[in-house]
Amino acid sequence: MRNLRELYQYRLLLWSLTQRELQARYRSSVLGFLWTFLNPTLHMLVYATVFQVYLRSGVPNYAYFMFVGLLPWIWFSTSVVSGASSISDRRDLLTKVRFPAQVLPATIVTTNLVNYLLALPLMMALGGFFGVIPSWHALLFPLIAFVQLILTLSITYLLSALNVTFRDLQHIVASLMMLAFFLTPVLYPLSSIPEEFRTWVLVLNPMAALVSGYHAIFYEQQLPDLQALGIVLTLSLALLWVAATIFESRREDFAEAI
Amino acid sequence: MDAIVVSHLSKRFKKSAKREYTSFKSELVRLLKGKRQKKEEGYIEALRDISFVVPKGKTVGIVGRNGSGKSTLLKLVTGIYSPSEGSITVNGRISALLDLGAGFHPDFTGRENILINGIILGMSREEVERRTPEIIEFSELGDFVDEPVRTYSSGMFMRLAFAVAVHVDPEILIIDEILAVGDEHFTRKSKAKMEEFRARGKTLLLVTHDLVTLQSWCDLAIWIDGGRVRQQGDPHHVVQAYKKAVALAETQQEAGEQSALSAPGVALPDLQGPARPSFGPQVGSGQRWGDFRAELTSVRLCNDQGTEVGTYDSEAPLVVEIGFAAKEELEDVGFLLKLRSAAGERVYETSTFTEEVAVPRPLPRSGTVRFSISRLGLVAGSYLLDVSLQARGGHEYDYHSGLYGFTVQSRIGDKGIVRPPHAWAFQPGQA
Repeated sequence: MRNLRELYQYRLLLWSLTQRELQARYRSSVLGFLWTFLNPTLHMLVYATVFQVYLRSGVPNYAYFMFVGLLPWIWFSTSVVSGASSISDRRDLLTKVRFPAQVLPATIVTTNLVNYLLALPLMMALGGFFGVIPSWHALLFPLIAFVQLILTLSITYLLSALNVTFRDLQHIVASLMMLAFFLTPVLYPLSSIPEEFRTWVLVLNPMAALVSGYHAIFYEQQLPDLQALGIVLTLSLALLWVAATIFESRREDFAEAI
Repeated sequence: MDAIVVSHLSKRFKKSAKREYTSFKSELVRLLKGKRQKKEEGYIEALRDISFVVPKGKTVGIVGRNGSGKSTLLKLVTGIYSPSEGSITVNGRISALLDLGAGFHPDFTGRENILINGIILGMSREEVERRTPEIIEFSELGDFVDEPVRTYSSGMFMRLAFAVAVHVDPEILIIDEILAVGDEHFTRKSKAKMEEFRARGKTLLLVTHDLVTLQSWCDLAIWIDGGRVRQQGDPHHVVQAYKKAVALAETQQEAGEQSALSAPGVALPDLQGPARPSFGPQVGSGQRWGDFRAELTSVRLCNDQGTEVGTYDSEAPLVVEIGFAAKEELEDVGFLLKLRSAAGERVYETSTFTEEVAVPRPLPRSGTVRFSISRLGLVAGSYLLDVSLQARGGHEYDYHSGLYGFTVQSRIGDKGIVRPPHAWAFQPGQA
């Protein structure tokens, strides 16, 4: 786990780069940082209109329900999509200075995590609007977020390392992510998936268990499926180990291949 | 202790850069042709069996033509690339100026970029913050430092980037040809900063095409040619040999022969031609070259009594006795003398051509030339003498570079190089 130890060593650099990313994202736009909130809000409004008004989904407080799942999904998908090219795009850093490559994918993940965290008060306010007061179950949030962090980090590591030699990957990932969005219970509750498919969805899509977890603690105000979370955590840790190993073995070639 | 130890270093790159980016189409075509290659064949050997040592506190310069592997070597020492074979040991905090402004963001102000660039170059946040005023002052950006970098002129951009880079305060500084940053004034300032580094006992490893800088600054020079160390040692000798090889390659090119200059990275021709001198040191040491159709058989430095003393008084005469021998009848021939200071600077150069001195034609099969200086007129120090037997156009029959040295002593502690004959006179009254 040299990779992670070094990541800790370079936490200052990681944090500085994250700050820079956050500042850079909306630099020289008029609304500036407000876009952090505007983007998910606009998404939410469109989906809420389609699913609640047009399709008449039976889920009460649908807008809030959907927003709870949408925010972590945005964290996950944005990290993975932009993380895939995080190494191959930074030729300027990797070939000109001695630079710890693993900081780059990690920066993307933490930047999007911070964006997610900043949007949480907005989510709470939306809940309040619908009369949903958070219960003690919300305290489990760090646990679920941690599992998602490990999962996101490992996928991002893996993709960023492979994308250096196989550039199609970043495009493939971008398309797949769109499909995965509809296969993840963000717009609909997990319970609306027919019983016989549900296990498969949970097994094949670790984000399904996580998003359902967020739904449970924030929306349904009950305990999440701890067993499913445990499985996702184990799987994520294993994946992280594999990803870190692959990343480490490819790392010396990065400067030459990009 | 040595700052950098490189031993038997080799670096290979995969031959085709295109092959690196696998595309579906090319992959499919290869599959259909049944030519699925298991392993990539063919490597480019960028560096072969490189060994050298950079002693702590010394300045070492690397020369070589484009594509010879200099930058690859620096990237290996910096740790951006990893060696294919051999090892590199670095003792001390290293900072590399291979490219300026790594990680600069155009939308950020100069001040913000100083912070992030400094951290990328290995400083802590506190260190950068402490040095920011110094960096801003050095960059001479003034109020522009709070404007976005995208509004900067390229000179301003480079100045800011250079300012950050030199304030990292490393123990070992690696520089790739970036001293010529900005205008005249800033270049001088950058050089002064480098001087300061040297004076503070820091180690410098630099790649430069500026041979004058190399000779005046470096304690050691390494000439990389075609991925190998062609020669290393005293900067003056290395530079002489390098210039020689380039000139030889150019003559070959003019003569329409296959030349090393036509393709990048090809090694320059060997100086050892078929000709070998019959007297004195062998060629190839970078101290002697020519075609040896005529040779300098002896060079003696002596006083006007004809005795070699080694040390001469500033006010005393000096005589150079040059013995020569010709293997054939040469019409176009003359003698050149070049006096250099210990630092390699040219003090004086003259020849029988420039002074229109009649040299017997054809040159006798053997003989002696005396070059008499009635009053040396140099300040105390060590000096070197180059002697050459050559044609009017500069074609050299036998060139001896830096083989003859002498010391000048003086009762007066005056400074500089030359002491012109002079007198002081005072007159009372108003000017």
